[in-house]
Amino acid sequence: MTAWVDASCILIVFFSLALLASYRTAGMVHIFVLQSFVLGLVPLFLHAGSVSSHEVILALGTMVFKAGLVPFVLMWAIRHVSMRSEARPIISFGPSIICGALVIAAAFWVASSLKLPGKPVTDLLLPCSLATVLLGFFTMVTRTRAVTQVLGYLVMENGIFLFALSLVDAMPLLIEMGILLDIFVAVFIMAIVVNHINEEFERTPALVGRTKTGENF
Amino acid sequence: MDKVYSLIWQVPFGEFALKLDFLGLVFLAAIAVLVVCAGIYGIGYMLPYKEKKPLGFHFFFYFILAIALVLIVLANNVILFLGAWEAMTLSVYFLILFHDEKPSTRKAGFLYLIAGHCGTFLLFLMFFLMAQTAGSMNFDVMSRASFPPALAGLIFLLALPGFGVKAGFLPVHIWLPHAHPAAPSQVSALLSGVAIKTGIYGICRILWILGVVPDWCGYVLLIIGVVSGVMGVLYALGQHELKRLLAYHSIENIGIIAIGLGLGLLGRSHNLPFIAALGFGGALLHVINHALFKGLLFLGAGTVIQRTHTGEMDQLGGLAKVMPLTSVLFLIGALSICGLPLFNGFISEFFIYFGLFQGLMGFPLNGVIACGLGILALALMGALALACFTKVFGTVFLGEPRSAHVPAKTASGTWREETSPWMLLPMIALAGLCSWIGLAPLTASRLAFSGGEYLMRLPAGSVDFAKVFVPLAFVISLAFVFIALALALILIRRFLLGPLPMPVGGTWACGYSKVGPRSQYTSASFVGPIMDAFKYVLLFRKHGGQVTGEFPGKTHVSTAVHDASEETVFSPFFTFLMGLSKKFDENRIRYTQIYLMYIFVFLIFLLVWKIR
Amino acid sequence: MVLSILLHWLVVVFLAPFFLGVISRVKAFFAGRKGPSVFQPYFDLARLFQKKCVYSRTATWVFHLGPVVVVSGVLVLSLMVPLGALKAPVVFSGDILLLAYLLALSRFFMIASAMDTGSSFEGMGASREAFFSCLSELALFMNFVTLALLTRSISLTKMIGADVPMLWNVLGPALILIVASLFIVLLAENCRIPVDDPETHLELTMIHEVMILDYSGVDFGYMLYGAAMKLFVLSSILVPIIVPVKTGLMALDMLFFLGGMLGIALVIGAVESCMARLRLNRVGNLLLIAFALAFFGFVVTLWRF
Repeated sequence: MTAWVDASCILIVFFSLALLASYRTAGMVHIFVLQSFVLGLVPLFLHAGSVSSHEVILALGTMVFKAGLVPFVLMWAIRHVSMRSEARPIISFGPSIICGALVIAAAFWVASSLKLPGKPVTDLLLPCSLATVLLGFFTMVTRTRAVTQVLGYLVMENGIFLFALSLVDAMPLLIEMGILLDIFVAVFIMAIVVNHINEEFERTPALVGRTKTGENF
Repeated sequence: MDKVYSLIWQVPFGEFALKLDFLGLVFLAAIAVLVVCAGIYGIGYMLPYKEKKPLGFHFFFYFILAIALVLIVLANNVILFLGAWEAMTLSVYFLILFHDEKPSTRKAGFLYLIAGHCGTFLLFLMFFLMAQTAGSMNFDVMSRASFPPALAGLIFLLALPGFGVKAGFLPVHIWLPHAHPAAPSQVSALLSGVAIKTGIYGICRILWILGVVPDWCGYVLLIIGVVSGVMGVLYALGQHELKRLLAYHSIENIGIIAIGLGLGLLGRSHNLPFIAALGFGGALLHVINHALFKGLLFLGAGTVIQRTHTGEMDQLGGLAKVMPLTSVLFLIGALSICGLPLFNGFISEFFIYFGLFQGLMGFPLNGVIACGLGILALALMGALALACFTKVFGTVFLGEPRSAHVPAKTASGTWREETSPWMLLPMIALAGLCSWIGLAPLTASRLAFSGGEYLMRLPAGSVDFAKVFVPLAFVISLAFVFIALALALILIRRFLLGPLPMPVGGTWACGYSKVGPRSQYTSASFVGPIMDAFKYVLLFRKHGGQVTGEFPGKTHVSTAVHDASEETVFSPFFTFLMGLSKKFDENRIRYTQIYLMYIFVFLIFLLVWKIR
Repeated sequence: MVLSILLHWLVVVFLAPFFLGVISRVKAFFAGRKGPSVFQPYFDLARLFQKKCVYSRTATWVFHLGPVVVVSGVLVLSLMVPLGALKAPVVFSGDILLLAYLLALSRFFMIASAMDTGSSFEGMGASREAFFSCLSELALFMNFVTLALLTRSISLTKMIGADVPMLWNVLGPALILIVASLFIVLLAENCRIPVDDPETHLELTMIHEVMILDYSGVDFGYMLYGAAMKLFVLSSILVPIIVPVKTGLMALDMLFFLGGMLGIALVIGAVESCMARLRLNRVGNLLLIAFALAFFGFVVTLWRF
């Protein structure tokens, strides 16, 4: 089952990178749905063969909240606020992909110096979760629209959740459900705040977008 | 194989000691071929100036340059080496100043002289350090001395900018793009083909003398090679003047040689002699190859410039119909420099790639990352060089003529004779050598590998090269299969089309028939996407092009890639120095007697000190 | 030896147009049409080889040489690529370098022939091709670096696991990334959506199609054949990684190989039908994503081994 967990970890980092590189906020939400879905599958693979009810509830909870409710609220916020769907970053897309790749390398390098007690299911779990956290943080830092910054924060949460999965035996179910509820509430509040901000100003008070004269191609 | 020859020489500490060894033989081969070819070409190139300019001076300094180059490579003594080095610098200066009526040429020569002497200053420091430690000025004796690692590192750090200014490593290359377009073409060919390589020879000789260098030297050389290579080809892409573009390409190829040398040093520090031999051997073979194909390209550019009186690519076009032979030879040079199979560039790049991949699999983690970086840099350089040379070849030789600079047909409907045989024969010889090394590389490879082994101070034949010569044999046989297949396909097409000539019409291009030659892609528009993608690392400036008013008139737009090193580092530095020296000038004491008094006081002081 | 070379060429030459036909059939299925016959490319090529060529007044010998170099390049390339049970006739350490540079040689002549026509249309395709090839070479070599680290060899046959299949449960994570990256490079090199649209001839969408706009008759047949064979050969590099089965029986192995090729053709057709072509400045970013994926695979490999 290690192979499935490995594949899921890789896919989660891939989706974080794809989120960093995508242009449309709706597209970013779809990538986030896919990422949460894969994240929800990971608890089922953790123990080779045997799946306890604890893990099934965890998987279902993750998928319902992170891959269902949260994206629903975000899409509602996007549509309701009717902001332009193209996300304008501070660093343009090409260099931000290269920076994303370097961030992944940095995460692996940092993970190689961290010595953790206990032995997780696969040795890729720690670096991939670190990479996801850092990529989410990078997305938050380089994007200007409020919804995309929320998505960056959510990717960071996904990374932390992935890391917490390696400790699934130690943490009781209640705390995990509490975390999920916290995230849901946070996103809900952010959607409301975004709505209010939009009603006050024409655009979100992040960077006003630069206009580019036509690209010669 | 060392042949040593020495004479008594009256210069203090100096000794007219010459030594021919495998390392020197590699560079001597390149020097000999290119001096002869460029010299013969020069006869034809200078013919139009026969009555107008003093040709005697020019050829005199050409001979001095040839002798100086040979002496540099053979020298076995510090004073002889530095003397020959200075002679080379000065003779190149006079050769560059052939067209000294143009202020840009004078500026280029002056910049070259300053840069050369800055480098030579560092060389003096370095050689005296080495002679002090070893106790002798003779290279052989110095090589037997042992240098402590810190001192070896310091000497290496002095050698890098000292020889690097001449070689053209990136931050200190600023004289190159000015000097090459200013000089006559055969001088540019010699400058780019061999004079730059003397910088590389110097670094190799220092590495040979030092023997063991600290580990970080390999990484430093590799990184310098990567930066020089990638930035060199990016700057080249942005140029629209033919010889300046070729000058920046020399910087890129010096980067490739530096990557090879860095790989060799890494292999040596990790005790893997096969990888080290591949790195050094590949770099030395690239020295020969670059001399050949860069010489060919500069001579071809010279032919174009002599015929059309301009080096601006955006004024040319369609020259393949006017100068068919030159276009074939230039194409061979372009294919070689891009490192494409069938020609010699591929062989040396193959060796360096092979070494890098072996290092990837054999080194510990730091070495793996370094080799990975080297491979990626080489791949990027190859692709960018391909873009650059398709731009050059397409803009200059193919398509329609863009301006009246391109000669038209004569009244009888034929083209004038292409160019003088003095100029064609050396180009044919160089192209032939490129193809020979590309299709039968064993001789040249063995020469380069023996030079590499000598550099590592191993006895000849101690490294087994079968592991790389067997794949090389496959590469050559596939090259011949390719040629055979191409000929077969041409015959099949001739058979299918029949004996009658095919109909000829205007270019179809989706039915746009009123398009003129001025709407063709120019050199700047061809590389537009690439320049746009790399705009964060290049200073790409666009001037003009704004359209104002309701009925806009004619407007101008020009694009240029400014050399970041020159603009941001050296120009401000020189301006600051000039300001400083102006300040000293204002405060200069007007009476000569005071300076005489200073000398007198100092003389008294010396006498008193020595007598005590 | 000569026999195996000829057999290899025979397979490539006869099977390549079939896969073009499969891809257009898949696209027709997605569009709700019946679509042309799977053997239509064969009929097209036969028709082209019977026609005469028309040349432009501006073109020189470079234009005549272009199609010949493209086809010879891809045929020599195919000698180093294993096709299922058919081992590659020429296998040596470092053949990936010759592979990449033969592709570069045919690209040089294609760009030069495009500039030779003296039209801005072809120049546009030439300029775009020159740019995208930089990024796709970078991604390709990053993949080669990772595969060399994984398989400890720089010969294509060993690197893609054609003789000893690669174990997905050991090498899994890096292999997913390599396959994704190589697939994007495959789409870019063969001018498929989302990089280039092989169906239209509008300047908005053309890269490869516009460079061969002035070719006609036999030359055009050569160019189309070269493109089809290039798609076939580059797909067959991906197949042994995706279908790591080696039974030892020749017929069964060839069946698996053909199945893998048909699978790739299906995926290409599906991608072409479900996606639109990306805006040209976004294509560069797609290739950078391919590079980033391969780089991630490199990092994972360094971490694991």
